[in-house]
Amino acid sequence: MKFFDILRTANHNLFRNKVRTALTIIAIFVGSFTIILNVAINAGVNAFIDDQTASLGGEDYLMVMSAGSANTIASSMMGGSDEPTEYDPSQKVSAMNAEEIEKLKSIDGIDGDNIYIAKQIPIEYITSDKTDKKYTINVGAMPPGDFKIGATAGHIPNNKTNEYQIMLEPGYAKALGFESDEDAIGKVVALVMLDPFTNQPMEFEAKVVGVQAQGVVAVNGSLISLALEDAMYEAGTKHYPAEQKELVYTVQTRFDTSKYTEEEIKKVLEENGFYAVGVSDMMGMIRTFFDVIMIVFGIFGGIALLAAAIGIVNTLFMSVEERTREIGLDKALGMSSSRVYAEFATEAIMLGFWGSVVGVLVAVLIGTAVNSAVHAPGGFLEVFPTFDLFKFTVGNILPIVLTVMFIAFLAGTIPAWKAAHKNPIDALRYE
Amino acid sequence: MEQPVIEVNNLVKIYGKRSTAFTALKKINLEIKEGESVAIVGKSGSGKSTLMHLLALLDRPTEGTVTVDGIDSTKLTNRQLNKLRNQSFGFVFQQFFINPQDSVLDNVTLPLKIAGKRRKVRRELAMKALRTVGLTDRAKFKANDLSGGQKQRVCIARAIVNDPKILFADEPTGNLDSTTGDKVIKLLFGLQKKGVTLIIVTHDEDLAMMCDRQIRISDGKIVEDSTTKSRKAKKTTSKTAKAKNMPKSKSTKKQTAKGDK
Repeated sequence: MKFFDILRTANHNLFRNKVRTALTIIAIFVGSFTIILNVAINAGVNAFIDDQTASLGGEDYLMVMSAGSANTIASSMMGGSDEPTEYDPSQKVSAMNAEEIEKLKSIDGIDGDNIYIAKQIPIEYITSDKTDKKYTINVGAMPPGDFKIGATAGHIPNNKTNEYQIMLEPGYAKALGFESDEDAIGKVVALVMLDPFTNQPMEFEAKVVGVQAQGVVAVNGSLISLALEDAMYEAGTKHYPAEQKELVYTVQTRFDTSKYTEEEIKKVLEENGFYAVGVSDMMGMIRTFFDVIMIVFGIFGGIALLAAAIGIVNTLFMSVEERTREIGLDKALGMSSSRVYAEFATEAIMLGFWGSVVGVLVAVLIGTAVNSAVHAPGGFLEVFPTFDLFKFTVGNILPIVLTVMFIAFLAGTIPAWKAAHKNPIDALRYE
Repeated sequence: MEQPVIEVNNLVKIYGKRSTAFTALKKINLEIKEGESVAIVGKSGSGKSTLMHLLALLDRPTEGTVTVDGIDSTKLTNRQLNKLRNQSFGFVFQQFFINPQDSVLDNVTLPLKIAGKRRKVRRELAMKALRTVGLTDRAKFKANDLSGGQKQRVCIARAIVNDPKILFADEPTGNLDSTTGDKVIKLLFGLQKKGVTLIIVTHDEDLAMMCDRQIRISDGKIVEDSTTKSRKAKKTTSKTAKAKNMPKSKSTKKQTAKGDK
């Protein structure tokens, strides 16, 4: 009962000086709006990065090479260095033999049953009977494991079937003469290799089972089923000596994340003469970049909120001065200091509540509009339909509203204390 | 003997400290019986307002005690004091002190709201109080839209809404013309008839003479404490009150509480 009286009184008092209240709420709104957008974009970007990490193979994914390959491969992955690298005979791409692969499998923490040896497929072009044009393409099979590849249509190739299947890269379906990504599903495309000695074309027909969605990091080009990969590799290397066929340059595997962090397993592999690249090597830079931006925006929002908090102090101080007589009367009629305090503190909390609620509403409105605008034709995220720039959830909005209310309460503490400690006689005499 | 509703012993109030100290009240002793109407009279700066504030428990004395209904107020906590003021006292001020933006009804229910009464109860009691002052038709009005006399009547309605034992009035007619002032005075003495103890601070001699008893304060001391009968004052409005008080009335100057202990 008393609680509702306090709420009602605080609300009533807020609306006494509407302009002042509105201006204070706007100040709080600016701060909370900035922070909410910041948190939402952070959530959106992180969800996207997680998505991309999963498409790269997840947190436990490792690409393992011989130690000698380290510099060459690492520098090409990181975009290369500005300076030409001096020749060093120990630093060259070197292959691993069967013995080394066995050694890798036996390392503690490495999933020995989940070893995938990437094969080089020297493919010339892809075409279909719907077009005369030929397109270059990279193909590779999905390594076994928990990869999440976004699809605009269909699904990833089935590695357990003998059927030759392909999941096209973004853009290929239309280039190959299909009306849309959906239209390509179930249709047949032709993958052509040249015999290394005779230059005779060798054609493989593959059924389209899916089309990939655009990601920040491309997968292995177009994905093909294991059966197709094996057949193409066999055809492309049929003239090679057996020893060469056995040579392996990169191995994709997984490690036990409960036992090692990515850094630790890399160290273990290094001690054993291997070099490994993990997901963080590929995604780490992007994440760091976004994190820095978020921190900067977070600081802006924080500063705005601080200014708003001072606004609350000011508003309530003025309110206390204006209502000095009223407070005096309340106290003369028996109102306790704690109740006077509670009324003013509640007023502050309500200012915080309304400010942040307006902030949430406007942020959601604008965020949703921006989300659909950037995905519209011509928008800068048109190619990333799965990437929501702003992600709003109860989990990221509610803590902000509560925090802003708490900050407002803190800001209201001093004026509320001043009001609560007014002497009724002095207050009634006040002109 | 009947217990006095307010009993004051050796009351001293000093404002300020050391060199700037000012003694507003110097060892005041007095007692007020239930149902009495008492005027506290004095020039400005005499200490009459200070005395009323102490009697009304709005301020704590430097020395001495104020006993209300047999309870020594100096031993009460702030919370108990608040409760006592809220339940046993009513206040009428010269400047009204009503909240101008609130409705008449909201102004009248304020003491009940502070007491934590339910909304329905508040409304009923407030309407009853407004009936007493003849303002039921103004309940929904904004307090600011009323005339001065009506405002003071709202103030009286607020003062009696909690059915107080003692009603304190500080210059209740000070801001009113004589006609509206008379109405307010009639109302106040009408309440006394119903058993409310009336303590009026005033410098209006006519109003003071309508009370059963006049306590004159000068320079922080009681210089005269007399009953109306002894002064042979005749006012129609105080007839009943006087009659009720007659058997006890004696002309006693500087009456103290010693004899009652």
